[in-house]
Amino acid sequence: MEWPSILLSGITLAAIYGLLAIGISITWSSLGMVNMAYGLTFAGAGYGAWMMAEQFSESGMLVIAAGIVTGAVIGVIVCLIAFIPIHDKPNFNVRGLIATLAISLIGTQLLLMAFGPQAKTLPSLFGDWQWELGEELVLTADKVGTLLSSLLLLGLTLAWMKGSRRGLEIRAMMMNPYGAAICGIGVRSTGIYVMAITGALAGLGAVLLCQTYFVSPFSGLTPMIKGVSVALCGGLGSVSGALIAACILGLTEALTTAYLGGQYVLITQFIVIIIVLLIRPRGIAGMLDKAREA
Amino acid sequence: MSTPCIGGREILKVEGLSAGYGPLRVLHDLDLSVHAGERVGIVGLNGHGKSTLFLAIAGLTGWQRGSIRLNGVEVGGTRSQGPGRYTHRVVKLGLALMPQGDEIFQGLTVEEHLDSGAFTSRAWRERGERKKRVLEIFPPLEKLMKTPVGRLSGGERRMVSLGRGLMAEASLFLVDEPSLGLAPKISKSVINALMSVELGDAAMVIAEQNVSLLQGRVTRLIGMHVGKLKGEASAASRSRPEV
Repeated sequence: MEWPSILLSGITLAAIYGLLAIGISITWSSLGMVNMAYGLTFAGAGYGAWMMAEQFSESGMLVIAAGIVTGAVIGVIVCLIAFIPIHDKPNFNVRGLIATLAISLIGTQLLLMAFGPQAKTLPSLFGDWQWELGEELVLTADKVGTLLSSLLLLGLTLAWMKGSRRGLEIRAMMMNPYGAAICGIGVRSTGIYVMAITGALAGLGAVLLCQTYFVSPFSGLTPMIKGVSVALCGGLGSVSGALIAACILGLTEALTTAYLGGQYVLITQFIVIIIVLLIRPRGIAGMLDKAREA
Repeated sequence: MSTPCIGGREILKVEGLSAGYGPLRVLHDLDLSVHAGERVGIVGLNGHGKSTLFLAIAGLTGWQRGSIRLNGVEVGGTRSQGPGRYTHRVVKLGLALMPQGDEIFQGLTVEEHLDSGAFTSRAWRERGERKKRVLEIFPPLEKLMKTPVGRLSGGERRMVSLGRGLMAEASLFLVDEPSLGLAPKISKSVINALMSVELGDAAMVIAEQNVSLLQGRVTRLIGMHVGKLKGEASAASRSRPEV
């Protein structure tokens, strides 16, 4: 593999990690919850997309839409079970972690019971054309499609958060939940929006990643771990930090695959994460304690 | 406590309110009544419950019991946990709390702050006019509308926090320590700005440690001492309230 194609696959992976990490980052900073059920959302969205392809239509747009909608629905269900009843109880951080972990385990078992252990494949979503730019660089449809669709959804999400009233509420909650409560922003209704949006991001990530990997009940585990670590590396609560970290880790993965072999990917990625966190414990662009921010 | 009737409708009626945090009880069976058009000052030392009274009205204390009626609707009651769970409902009923320590959103701009104060759908629709009115009260904010609040000075932050409260479609403004941490000159101008707010059918309660800032400028001054309201002086009387 040569440099341009390594770069391309690195950026494609970065787009997918970015989707997951931003979801985790927003959930953490606005709701104070590390969403361990994100892997379940991921796997469930994969199955949603698979059912769409199997039962109704193999059209790429519809399959992607099915994945996004399933992801959002699962996000809302997780919110209704694990956030709304317990968010104002003492020690919510730990309780939320355990509740979402429990949901994740139960949901994965349910998926296993419903669909069986065999992995499913999704049809190719973006067609199979190729575009040769040079001797080394070949743009394939799935890479271009992955990049464009994740950038589109991310851009829409960020524009919505910047421009709309609900987005303003979510950003206010991310910066100061107590102040947001004083302004009359309802924690629970905002929680539902947040979980639906982040679920939709995970859904798109799932459909895109299932182009390369398979849909299986446990397929969400590795992406979730990577998403959490990318979010940590970028600094929890920072969207731009998550994007930078996603690019770094996507490139690390592509470089490792090209020069060392796929089995070393997790090792090099976590070494990079540990180095970043050693140098900068709050992550690349993480917010400091609010009193010190200025 | 006997309340002089000013003729306006009763906006806030607190009866037998106790509140605190965990094992700590801060308010002891407190009664208070505020009528439309009034500007009430509550003075007292640190740690005697001024802020807790405001937080209890907003449902933000650790626990509370006793009746709080805002515009005739009961928002109090007994609650042992879940601070902030119903605060948005109280805000919808017409409460604007300008909290101690500002509680601003570091990364948002001044303009977004003012927008976030317009919680009810009517206030949100009229937010353009409301912003204009807030800028008339706090002219220095005009140039800072696009600046992130994290970069402002203490006095400017206070104005943003108060302005955010004034954006709300509220009938009861609770202002907690508007002079806290500000230079004397700036705190005077902040108080002047608050006094220039036209209340109309609304009422304002200001908690302050610095009695002289409020003396003679509010309808009533009430002293607060170990979780109870004590002594009351109308604006006409020059005597220091018995604190």
